[in-house]
Amino acid sequence: MKRMRRDVIAEQKRLGRKTVVALPVHYPAELFTAMDVHVVELWGPPGPPRGPDAGRIQPYVCAVVRNAMAFLADGGAREADALLFPHTCDSIQGMATLAPDFGGWGKPVLRYFHPKGEDRPAARALVRAELASLSAALELLTGRTLESNRLAQAVALHAEIHRVRGALLSRRTCLDLTDPELYRLLRRGEYLWPEDHLSELMEAAKRLGGEPVRNGVPLMVTGYVPEPMTLLDLLASAGAFLAADDYAAVGRRVPLRAPDDGDDPLAILAERPFALPPCPTRGSGRERRMDHLESLYRRAGAAGIVIHVPKFCEPEAFDVPAIRTRFAKIGAPHLFLEGELESRLSGQAATRLEAFVETVRAGRASS
Amino acid sequence: MILRRLRYEAVSRAIGPLLMAADRMRKSLSGSRGGRSAGPFGPPLESTRKLRELLSLHYLAGRFADGAVPVAWVTSGFPVEALRALGYHTVYPENHGAICSVRRLVPELSDAIEGEGYSRDLCGYARADLGSVATGKSPVGRLPKPDLLCCCTNICQTVLYWYRALADRFRVPLVLVDVPFVYGEVPPHHFAYVESQLADLAAVAAKIAGRDTDRGTLLETVRLAREGSRLWDECLKTGRARPSPWTGFDAFFHLAPIVALRGTAECNAYYRTLRDELSDRVARGVGGIANERVRLLWDNLPVWFHLRELSTLLAGKGFNIVCATYTNAWAEAGALIDPADPEGSAARAYLHVFLNRDLPHRLALMKRLCSEYGATGAILHSDRSCKPYSIGQVDLSRRLSDAAGVRSLLLEADHADPRSWSEAQARARLDAFTEMFE
Repeated sequence: MKRMRRDVIAEQKRLGRKTVVALPVHYPAELFTAMDVHVVELWGPPGPPRGPDAGRIQPYVCAVVRNAMAFLADGGAREADALLFPHTCDSIQGMATLAPDFGGWGKPVLRYFHPKGEDRPAARALVRAELASLSAALELLTGRTLESNRLAQAVALHAEIHRVRGALLSRRTCLDLTDPELYRLLRRGEYLWPEDHLSELMEAAKRLGGEPVRNGVPLMVTGYVPEPMTLLDLLASAGAFLAADDYAAVGRRVPLRAPDDGDDPLAILAERPFALPPCPTRGSGRERRMDHLESLYRRAGAAGIVIHVPKFCEPEAFDVPAIRTRFAKIGAPHLFLEGELESRLSGQAATRLEAFVETVRAGRASS
Repeated sequence: MILRRLRYEAVSRAIGPLLMAADRMRKSLSGSRGGRSAGPFGPPLESTRKLRELLSLHYLAGRFADGAVPVAWVTSGFPVEALRALGYHTVYPENHGAICSVRRLVPELSDAIEGEGYSRDLCGYARADLGSVATGKSPVGRLPKPDLLCCCTNICQTVLYWYRALADRFRVPLVLVDVPFVYGEVPPHHFAYVESQLADLAAVAAKIAGRDTDRGTLLETVRLAREGSRLWDECLKTGRARPSPWTGFDAFFHLAPIVALRGTAECNAYYRTLRDELSDRVARGVGGIANERVRLLWDNLPVWFHLRELSTLLAGKGFNIVCATYTNAWAEAGALIDPADPEGSAARAYLHVFLNRDLPHRLALMKRLCSEYGATGAILHSDRSCKPYSIGQVDLSRRLSDAAGVRSLLLEADHADPRSWSEAQARARLDAFTEMFE
């Protein structure tokens, strides 16, 4: 685990909080906050899988899972008290039995099933029951009881985080931060205590002006996780910036609408998954997703789209043809970038990105 | 509509069977017995001819199904009983994908959709199916267009992404039965979730079929499905005899009816015939291979496009696949179906399918199969286009060796796409594996 994450965990431990490591993507963070449990997300880590257990998952499985498995088995998360597996994909589901049942993780395991498919009564009932089930598991882990007022505070805190993250993402052209700076800030939310993350977000929000301050080629990105982060540095140096984000790790976790007002924090929490943008890991309808992506693209005034997908990621890969078709139809230049979870962008990918930015820039100049 | 229905019924009940009978007679007159040549194998199964006829008739009727009866495209783990009771003609793209693979059509079909942006790393069945839809090419002539798409995530979540793509293409409703993965015991709310979706399925399917479910027909379908699973189980269990009266590779082919025709009288009649033939071979000491020396378990899907070569290679060395987790899956879950409680038992049965269960269950099952079938070795097909079946196999292989004394081999391939097959590498690994038993 990187040093800064370790430092944050140590600090949270001093404050008497338990730490749970969470695999991607969607889970009710509010419950953990309300139970005073610190969550640290595990999206890899990037680079080749390391340690003696690196070969326990075949190389044709996505690197997020292979790397996470090797990292855990090598003791990378030994400071944590438990592990959370959301019901994201077949590979994470497989790891959710491999690591605890066959070695690699010997501490408690939490599992969260989010319903697949569109909004329907059965899905809503499942979310409510899963929240209750996860609450009970957290009570067992912490020895504390979930209090309604603490949950209400946590729901309000995360709603504010979502609001500010949403504002930073949607008004980013008016933000006096580069993409690498913005994304490093947003991704600190993967391991900071939520109040600390909100403080940093609020500080950044003060830099939002009324007028656009970004120059260059505005692009939209869709994909899973912005790794390697050097992709953002390269885009910046090539004269482009991200005007819209549909990364599962970033933009897709910001609700499209505020939850309905109500007194019951659990009901508000149960409503939240249905307010999220369409995401293939939740099995959202394809057409609804394509409409959402086109709308996001147009609102942001983007001039091209980068489809950035990890190799072997089935939920993302199955949607790629539809994205390409939709954006070709509206005349939007698009670049499909498939990669492993490298530490740095490969030379070939860098060249393709630079060429893509050049092409889009040339197209804008001639139109 | 009425004319189409008449044509469908005529093909299903009269013309199709007549064509099959004529073909049988032609082959009989020409002296062709079909089946594989003797070589290292025992005499071919007589039932194989009936299997071909049954499946040919199913696909032949399918050509005339759309516009005549409601048509559903269905995943192999889908609770199909509700559809049968409403008169649906069901199409199983996975079964069709296996046929495409055997005929070595997958590279061509996959190429067609890779041009649309689909990755070669996706499930081979999905690529075969989407490619077949895109090109109209199929070894069975033509698949009927669906009125309804039915997908159940108890075998994998890939089917959801795949069927979303189909829904987008055909513009027909997609019914999803989302099934939580089973770690240990199933919590009550997961049962409730699946049950609730089964009720939704029944309502949507009835609306599209334009009629209500007849309770009596449903109960009879459930009874037939349970009995079919039991009969299939009886066929598999004949493999416990020494020598086994057939090979696991035979069983992969004879699996088709319990997947594609589960819940029908034709399916059960077929398995009665097969069971009787296998039992007769057991009584007479006739083996699936000529000289059975070592008995093996197979894990994961078959390598469809290379079955003949693999089976010949192993049989030539006296190795016989006598059991498989894949073929066993359709015997295991069916026992949970209860005609007295069709809805509740369907939720239980379809939650507990093999691929939807944790690794300790899989390991326990593999050990049990090895013990019951006298298998001293195992081949675990590390299937690059089936992630859920393959994750954990490295550990399963080690544990089978360490804890159960079963020598095992991890053989990397693909269930559908020959482009992922390395002949020299596979042969070298198989040679080394078989030498361990000398």
